[in-house]
Amino acid sequence: MNAPTVGPTVAAEHVSKWFGDVVALSDVSFEIRPGVTALLGPNGAGKSTLLRILCGLATPSRGSLRVLGSSPRDPKLYRRIGLVPQQEGLLEHLTGLAFVELAAALHGVPSPREAATRAVTKVDLDPADGRGLKAYSKGMRQRIKVAQAIVHEPEMVVLDEPLEGLDPRQRLRMIELFRELGDEGRTVLVSSHVLDEVEKFGSRVMVLAQGRMAAEGDFHSIRELMDDRPHKIRVRSDNPRAVAAALVSDGSVLGVQLGGDDSVIVDTEDAPAFRTAVARVARDEGARLLEVAPLDDDLESVFRYLVGRR
Amino acid sequence: MGTFGRLYVLFLRLQATRGRMIGMLALGAVAVLVGLAMALSDARDLDPTVGRDLVDGFGLGIVAPVISLIVASSALGDLVDDNTLVYVWLRPVARWQLAVAAAASTLTLTLPLVLIPVIGQAALVDKGYGLVGAAAAAAAIATVAYGCVFVGLGFKVRRSLVWGLAYVLIWENAVARVASGAARISIQSYATSLLHRMSEGAPPLFAPPRTSSVVVPLVVSAVALALTARWLRRTEVA
Repeated sequence: MNAPTVGPTVAAEHVSKWFGDVVALSDVSFEIRPGVTALLGPNGAGKSTLLRILCGLATPSRGSLRVLGSSPRDPKLYRRIGLVPQQEGLLEHLTGLAFVELAAALHGVPSPREAATRAVTKVDLDPADGRGLKAYSKGMRQRIKVAQAIVHEPEMVVLDEPLEGLDPRQRLRMIELFRELGDEGRTVLVSSHVLDEVEKFGSRVMVLAQGRMAAEGDFHSIRELMDDRPHKIRVRSDNPRAVAAALVSDGSVLGVQLGGDDSVIVDTEDAPAFRTAVARVARDEGARLLEVAPLDDDLESVFRYLVGRR
Repeated sequence: MGTFGRLYVLFLRLQATRGRMIGMLALGAVAVLVGLAMALSDARDLDPTVGRDLVDGFGLGIVAPVISLIVASSALGDLVDDNTLVYVWLRPVARWQLAVAAAASTLTLTLPLVLIPVIGQAALVDKGYGLVGAAAAAAAIATVAYGCVFVGLGFKVRRSLVWGLAYVLIWENAVARVASGAARISIQSYATSLLHRMSEGAPPLFAPPRTSSVVVPLVVSAVALALTARWLRRTEVA
């Protein structure tokens, strides 16, 4: 690996990207330093666009971005970065080893075959496998993409949804590999739309939603932020009016709305306290609870909330 | 093997698929068969220009541009269509090397695939006008120019095969054959002119000097490669 870069590996200032009328990224600023950083966001949040800009595959419509002190469009930079793209297409007529060897050779690695063998072994594939890539399973294809991205031992590795299609054992192995790369002082940027996956990276997290940077921090602070947001909960009961009237005066409740024949929609900032309160209220009012269900616990809602609070 | 060699071999393997090779060999075989049919007929005894016109119309008008289009448009075009360009683009490789390697692999395939049937056809219908040498030179010049132009077309234009065929049939084989102004910006016109000048034929509609007939297509080739390299530098990759 080259000498470590002074300052952040990536410095983005007010980066925006639009395609016609569609805004993919809006005024995104951030810095990334060595170690593992997770880029979390729902599908369509702009993660892939951001990663493409970061690797020079696309140019920002506005704003500036430096990677390892260079413009991402400078081909000399590509010796120092590796990318696992999201798309599945590979050079299908090549074997796995030949595919990785080609990457090594084009990167100017002195002994491409040896380097490729090491990289392929590192991702738990068999360098002697003589099958063409078209015969590879989804998991094998993901892993060979990782191998071609690390074969030249880059200072920065960018991985776009690299765990998709992997079985649980392979996922763990890949996560371990990303952490190893980070521990070696490389900058590893991994995108994901799965919160639990991100937790395992044990890393700094950037949350991207609707093309905007919604939150940044370590995983635990992001998790807390998500848990502390207001929740919307539907309570179904055989006596919704009585339950609603009693809940209005409870401290855990921000607002109450009758939501239909037998339901009440409650806004609360303290979901655990509310759950205790609703059971007590139902007992006191002699009402039977049919259902207590969160309406906005999916990740999309969490991301929407994080964007809204900025 | 160096970077250029790796790219060259990669493009060659991408282009030389079984289906394409069969199609192009079949087209070449048809050219030879048409020449054979004419050689066995009395037609060329009646009019000595018929053999030259056959090479001009079929060899230079169909075989050279169509085979060049099929091969050249797939060099970078297949990578764009399959979203695999990233695996050669995101490397510390000069963009001109990508363009030149694509052109080199294209010409490695197209020159024999075009020249062998065109020369074979010319040999069958030649009656001592130096048609074989003229056909070889004209087909080689046309193949080089078409190859370089269609490498760029394949990279820049979606469904390049369709657009390329439209260009060959409408512009090169129709408009440029009846309008001398249009012929000035037609690769085939320069090749045709060379064919006629080298085989003692009557000058065609647009008849630049022999040197221009060679130099202009080569300049077009160089410009096409430079443009392709520029597009590669400026492109956004999926």
